Order: sequence, then C-alpha cells, then structure tokens
Amino acid sequence: MSELKKKTFVVTRFDPDKDQVPKTQSYEVPCRPEWKVLDALNYIKDEIDGTLSHRWSCRMAVCGSCGMMVNGEPKLTCKTALSDYGDTVEINPLANFPVVRDLVVELEGFMDKFKAVKPWILRAKEAAPEEGPYRQTPAELAAFKQFSMCINCMLCYSACPVVMQEPDFLGPAATALGHRYNLDSRDEGAEERNEVFRGDGSIFHCSYANECSEVCPKNVDPAAAINQAKLLAVVDWAKGFVVPRKGKK
Amino acid sequence: MAQTANPRAMAPAKPGPTRTAAPMKPGNWPSSARYRTYLGFDLTGLVYLLAGFAVLGAARAFAKGPDAWNALLASYKHPLWILFHLVVLASVVFVGVRFFRLFPKAQPPQIGPAKPPPGPLIHAGLYAAWIGATIVLAAILGGVIL
Repeated sequence: MSELKKKTFVVTRFDPDKDQVPKTQSYEVPCRPEWKVLDALNYIKDEIDGTLSHRWSCRMAVCGSCGMMVNGEPKLTCKTALSDYGDTVEINPLANFPVVRDLVVELEGFMDKFKAVKPWILRAKEAAPEEGPYRQTPAELAAFKQFSMCINCMLCYSACPVVMQEPDFLGPAATALGHRYNLDSRDEGAEERNEVFRGDGSIFHCSYANECSEVCPKNVDPAAAINQAKLLAVVDWAKGFVVPRKGKK
Repeated sequence: MAQTANPRAMAPAKPGPTRTAAPMKPGNWPSSARYRTYLGFDLTGLVYLLAGFAVLGAARAFAKGPDAWNALLASYKHPLWILFHLVVLASVVFVGVRFFRLFPKAQPPQIGPAKPPPGPLIHAGLYAAWIGATIVLAAILGGVIL
C-alpha cells in the first residue's frame, strides 16, 4: 500500500445560477504518489463534493476532454503527474474560454472556428464509388500526418496570447486542421480554405509566440502549421493575379 | 484569480442558453519565462522605432554637411549613446536568434515543385548569411573594402 500524501487543491467554482463571477474553493485530498491531477479531481467529486463539475473521459490522453489550467499552465489532467507539483495545486478552467460551470468551458466558439476551415476532403468532382478509394503514397501521407494527430483538447487556445486579445483569430488547432487538409494530396479545397485563412479569421494575427506548440500534448506543432499556412496563403493570393481561380471567370 | 481576457475570446457566434463567466487569461500570464521572452520580443519593436529615429537623425546630420556629421559622430561617444547602441545590438541578436530558431519549421513541405532543404541546413544557411553580411558591412564601414 503506497503512502498517502495530503495536498491542497484550490479549484475554481462557478455556478451560473448563483454566482456573478467565479470564486475558488480549497479541498484537502489524500493523494497516492502515482496519481494524476485528474485522479485528485475525481476523488473530490466522488468523496468530498459531488457538486464539482469537470470534463473527462478516456484517462489516456486520447479524447482531449480533461484540459484545464494546472498552476496557471494548460495541461491534460489525465497526463499530468501530481508528483510534479508541491503541496498546493491550483486548478482553473481553460484560460481564454467562457466558463459554463466550475471547470467546464464553453466549446461552441471552438466548434465555430473548426467548421470555418471545412475540415474534410473537398473535391471539385467526387469520383464514382466504382473507381475505388483515393490513393495516397506514404510520402504524401507523411506531408500532413503530424497535423492530423490533434485531439482537440484546446490547450493551444488557452496558451495563445493572441487568442486572449483577438476573438476573431481562427487560432492554432483549427488552422492546423485546415492546413492538414490543404496538404492532403486527395484534397482540392486549398483555395477555399486559404480565403478563410486570409479573411475574417485571419491567421496573420498570429505573432508566432509558439506557445501553442509548447503546450501541445501530442506534439502537433500548431505554430508550424499556422506559419506554413501563412506562406501558402500568400503564395495562393499572389498566384490569383496570374492564374484564374477555379470556378471563377 | 487571473486577469480577464477579451470578453469575446472563444465566444460562440450565437450565445448559448446558459450564462457563462468571462474568459480568464492564463494564470501564469505574464510571469512565466516563456511569456516574458515573447513579450521581450514584442518590446524590441520599441527599440527599433527609436533606432529608426536615430538613423533619420544621422541622415539629417549627413545632409547638413561635414561639421554636423562630425559633431554627431562625437556625440556617439556619450555613455547614453553607447548604452543605446548596446541595447539595439542585444535586440537584434535576440530577435535574430529567435527568428532563426523558429524559421525552419515555418517552411511548408512543398511550394509547387520546390521543396525546402532540411531544417538544420536552413538554420546553418541563415546563420552563415547573417555572419557573412555582418563581416561585409563591418569591412565596408571600417574602410577595408570600397
């Protein structure tokens, strides 16, 4: 039986029916040495205060549900070892997101940005089913694979100093996903996405702080995606002066 | 509690049925070393603005004639000017090193038929170009060439 160590968790609480602004509440939790931050939150929920709300699902850094601020830094709580922290751990909802309740943030704004980049394969003309699947070489897959590993945990949005000031900025994950499809050899929608990249949600707001890549738990490197997408969007814009756009006269 | 971010940060286009609390900035803003490095990078813009004014002043002195030019060169020996030029030099080195570190990964895997060279080669090329240009400019300004 491993030894239990008491830690204090200072957790953000917000009840939209009662509170005007979020407040904090402290909990003493007897922690096992091997616990992750999520284990402690589940202990609070199960044993101390059933009213605490937080999101989680897979417990193995795949679903992207349990992102929160741990001592001010965006983390997947299922992947973050408690042993890395001292006797007091501060848990807040993801920064830069409206808070629905306690540690649960509003996702719709994020989903709006996702939909804007059309994250699916766009074709000028769909091939008939009898023609079989669109084929791709390993090299073509390697061109975008890194950017397809995103689990939509939103830690990148929480770390980004531009997101905190520029609400219209598409942001790291959505741009990485759009760029992933632009690099996909089966896709023909780069022109459409590049218009989104240059338009209202301009990715040119990005000042390359690189924070999104620093906090990404899956090493997707969204900062690389955004800055590659910037260059390709400029090339596409310049090309538009010489070559007529598809579907336009 | 952290500071409040822009109230519209990550807000949905259509507000949901539930009242939400305003988004907060990261709790480590701006105290973490990474954020401070980033803010330092942004602050160098001010240094370049001042350096721009200094260059305009130098051009003006140059246009006025040899006396004004020599007076300006003499004024550069003042400790405040020396400090300012050291700050400009530090800013240029800081921004250059940061830019060169991040530049290779900002290269798309392919632009048309062109593929960028490997990251370390880009890195080495940037430093070689920077050091080479510095040596050539120093040689010109020192009167060694031209």
